[in-house]
Amino acid sequence: MQTTEAIRPSITDEPRQNYLTNGYTIKSWLLTKDHKRIAIMYLISVSAFFMMGGLYAAAIRLELLTPASDLLESGTYNKVFTQHGILMIFFFLIPSIPAVLGNFLIPIMIGAKDLALPRINLLSLYVYWIGGGLVLFALMQGGVDTGWTFYAPYSTTFSNTYVMLVGLGIFVNGFSSILTGLNFIVTIHTMRAPGMTWFRLPLFVWAHYATSLVMILGTPVIAITVLLLALERAGGIGIFDPAIGGDPILFQHLFWFYSHPAVYIMILPGMGVISELISNFSRKKIFGYEFIAFSSIAIAVFGFLVWGHHMFVSGQSMYAGLVFSFLTMVVAVPSAIKMFNWAATLYKGSISFDTPMLYAIGFLGLFLIGGLTGLFLGAMGLTVHLTDTYFVVAHFHYVMVGGQVIAYLGGIHYWWPKMTGKMYSEFWGKISAMLVFIGFNLTFFPQFILGYIGMPRRYASYPEEMQVLNIFSTAGASVLGVGLVMPLIYLGKSLINGKPAGDNPWMLPGLEWRTQSPPPTENFDKMPVVTWEAYEFGEENGLDLEAARRRDREMASDFQKN
Amino acid sequence: MTTHAGEHNDHAHAPGLQHQFEDMKQQEESVSIGMWMFLVQEIMFFGGLFTAYLVFRSKYPMAFAVGSNHLNAFWGGLNTLVLIVSSLTMALTVYYAQKSNRNMQVILILLTMFFGTVFLGVKAIEYTDKWSHGTVPITGLNKVVREGHGDSHASKPIEFSIVPQAYAAATAAGGEEHAYVNPRGEFQWNDYDLIEKKVAEQKADPNAYILTTDERNGYFSHGELDRDKFRDKVRIFYWIYFVMTGLHALHMVVGLGLMTWLCWMAFRNTYSAEYYMPVEMSGLYWHFVDIVWIFLFPLLYLLGRHFIVGGH
Repeated sequence: MQTTEAIRPSITDEPRQNYLTNGYTIKSWLLTKDHKRIAIMYLISVSAFFMMGGLYAAAIRLELLTPASDLLESGTYNKVFTQHGILMIFFFLIPSIPAVLGNFLIPIMIGAKDLALPRINLLSLYVYWIGGGLVLFALMQGGVDTGWTFYAPYSTTFSNTYVMLVGLGIFVNGFSSILTGLNFIVTIHTMRAPGMTWFRLPLFVWAHYATSLVMILGTPVIAITVLLLALERAGGIGIFDPAIGGDPILFQHLFWFYSHPAVYIMILPGMGVISELISNFSRKKIFGYEFIAFSSIAIAVFGFLVWGHHMFVSGQSMYAGLVFSFLTMVVAVPSAIKMFNWAATLYKGSISFDTPMLYAIGFLGLFLIGGLTGLFLGAMGLTVHLTDTYFVVAHFHYVMVGGQVIAYLGGIHYWWPKMTGKMYSEFWGKISAMLVFIGFNLTFFPQFILGYIGMPRRYASYPEEMQVLNIFSTAGASVLGVGLVMPLIYLGKSLINGKPAGDNPWMLPGLEWRTQSPPPTENFDKMPVVTWEAYEFGEENGLDLEAARRRDREMASDFQKN
Repeated sequence: MTTHAGEHNDHAHAPGLQHQFEDMKQQEESVSIGMWMFLVQEIMFFGGLFTAYLVFRSKYPMAFAVGSNHLNAFWGGLNTLVLIVSSLTMALTVYYAQKSNRNMQVILILLTMFFGTVFLGVKAIEYTDKWSHGTVPITGLNKVVREGHGDSHASKPIEFSIVPQAYAAATAAGGEEHAYVNPRGEFQWNDYDLIEKKVAEQKADPNAYILTTDERNGYFSHGELDRDKFRDKVRIFYWIYFVMTGLHALHMVVGLGLMTWLCWMAFRNTYSAEYYMPVEMSGLYWHFVDIVWIFLFPLLYLLGRHFIVGGH
C-alpha cells in the first residue's frame, strides 16, 4: 500500500529538469529520441491535418445546405469529400491516439525510460511526414476524386486525378503506423518495470497492444494494395479491370482486409482512454479488468474476419455474405462487454465531472448509438436498403468522431497537465466538451433519418424535401466546429499563463501520476517498483478527492510554516 | 540519465547497450521481438501478392501454365540453389560472430554478398530475356523492333528450357513463329498450342471440367478461342511475375545494403560473444528473403509443367 509521499513525490521540491527543458534548439527536437518529444511533434502534425480535414468537412456541409449543387460543382465536391476522408482517416484518426497519447504515455505507464526502439520511433515520425507531404503535394496539384476507398476500376482506369501520388503517400504513411505498432508491442513485452505484471497494466496499454497487432497484421496489406493500384495505373494490365479479365472484387477484398481492421485501429485506443477516464474519475477499481483487457484482443482478432460486410452488394457470393454478417454480430460482443463493464464501474463510484469525464460520458452515449447502428448495417437484409446512404455516413461518424475523436479530446484534457505541467481553464473545458457533444449530435443524428429516407452519400445535390434535415446538420456542424476550435485557444493559453498543475492534479494512483509534471527525460528518477494493482484506490490516494485535496493543501502549508 | 546509471553502473559500459535498457538481456529480447514483428508484417505484405496470385491462378490456370512454361526453370533453379547456399554462409556468420572470430565473419559476409549479387545478376539476365522476347507486360518497356530489323521471337521457348525437343520442334513447325515486328514495345505472345489443344478437348466433351468457368467466359468470343483475350490473361501472369520477383529483388538489394554495413562493422571488430544481435537480426532478414524465394520459385516457374512434360 503506497503512502501519500509515493503519490506526491515532489510537491515541495524546487523545479527540476524535464523533457521540455532538456535542450531548446530545433535540432534537439528534430533529432530527439525521447518518446515524449516525438509525441509532441506528432500532436502538432496530427492537429494540423485535423484542421485541414475539418475545413474540407466545412465545405461539404456548406454545399449541402441547399439541394442544388451550387457552391461546389459535382467534380469538385467529389474531390472535397475524398480528401476529407483521406486526411481524416490516414493522417488524423489512425495516428491520433496511438502516436500522440500512446507514444507519450505507454513508457511512463509501464515504468520504462523510453520505448524499446527510440530510433524506430523517430523514423516513424519522419515517414509520417514524408507520406503526409506527398499527399499534401498531390492535393495542391489538384487532388483526387475516387473516394477514400479508391475502388477499381474507376481509380485505375477512369479517374483523371492524382491517384498514384496519393496512393504513394498512403503507402509510405502505412509504414509509420507499422513501425509505431511494432514499437509498442516490443515495449509492452520487454520494458515493464519490476512488479508491473501483465494484469497490472493500465487498460490503456492493453488497448494499444491490441491496436498494434492490427497495425502490424493489417497495414502491410493496404500498402501492397495501393502499390498494386498505382502500378496498375502505370501499366494498365487490368488485374482490377473486369474488361480484360481482372477482378475489381479482389481489390475490394484486399482493401477492406486492411480497412475494416483499420476502423478498430481508430476505436480501440479510444476505448483504452475511456477505460482510464471512467475508472479514474469514478475513483473506483474498474469492473471486470480481465474482460475489458481480453475484449480488446478479441476485437483485434475478430476484426480481421468481418471485412466482407463492406461488400454485401458488390457482387460477393451470398453465402460469403451470410458468414460475414454472422461474424459482424460476433465482433459486436466484445464491444458490448466493454460498455457493460464501464457502466458497472460507474455504479456507486464517486464520480467527479471534470472535463475529461464529460468527454467520457459523451463517448458512452455516442459510441452506443454508433455501435448499435453498426449492427443494423451488419444485418444482411437491412443493409441492402441502407447501404451507401447517409445512414452509413452517420454510423461511422458516430463511431469515429463520437468514439475516437471524443476519446482523443478527453485524453488530451486528462493528460494535458502531465504533458505540459500546466492546468487549463476548467470552465472553458466544460463549455467546449458540451458544445462538441451537442454540435456532434445535431450534425449527425439527422443524417440517420436522411439515410433511412434514402439520401445517398457522395452526391453534391439532393431532393428538396430533404433540405430541413440538412440545414440541421449544417447548423450542428458549425456548433461542432466552434467546440473543436475552443480547446486550441484555452489549451494554448494555458501554456502561457496556466496554473502549474502539480504532479498529480487528479489525485490518481497510476504510474504516470507518480513522476513529475512534465516528466524528466528518462521519465522516473529511479526505476519504479510496482506493488499495487491497476486502479487501486486506497484511502491515501484519493478515494475521496476533496479530502485528498484538503490534505494536500495542509501538507503544503505545513511545509511553508516549517 | 545520470541517476539511472548509478544503480546499474557495471552494465552502462557494456558494448552496444542503449540507454533505455537495463541490461543486455533486455536489449536482446527487445531487438529480437522487434525483428520478428517486422518479419510478420513482411509476410502480410507479400501475402497480399500471393492472394492476388492465387485468385488469378485459380481463375485462369491454362494462361498461367503457359506463361509459366516460358520462364526459365534452369535460371530459377540456379537462383534457388544460390540463395540456399547464401543462407548457409549467413548462418555461419552468426556462428562466428558468437565465437568472436572477426576474419571468418568478414569472409562469410563477403561470400553472402557474392551469392546475393549472383542472384541479382541471374535475375537481370532473365529480365533482359523477357525484354528482348516482348513479354514485359507494360507497353513501351519491351525491345522495340521495327520491320526488317532483327528477328525477335516473341516468347519463343527458351534455350535452357526443360521443354522436350520434340515439343519445341513441333511448335516451330507449327508455323506460328516468325520475325516479330514490335515498333511500340508491346507485350507479345504467340504460344497458343496448349490452349488450342485444351479447347479442342473441351469441345469434344462439353461436360468435362477441362477449362474453368472463368476461362470459358474469359478466353472466348462468339464461341471461338479469342487469342487476344487469352493473351491478356498471360499478360496478367507476367505482371504478377514481375511485381513479385521485382519486390523480392528490391528486398535483396536492401539486404545487400545491410550486408555492406554489417561487413564494415564486423571488420571494425564490433561483434563478439557479448554483442552480436545486429548480425543475428540481419541474418533473420536474409533468411526471410530467401524463404520468400523458396515460395516464389515453384509457384512461378514450375507451375503446370506436367501439361507439357508428360501427364495429361
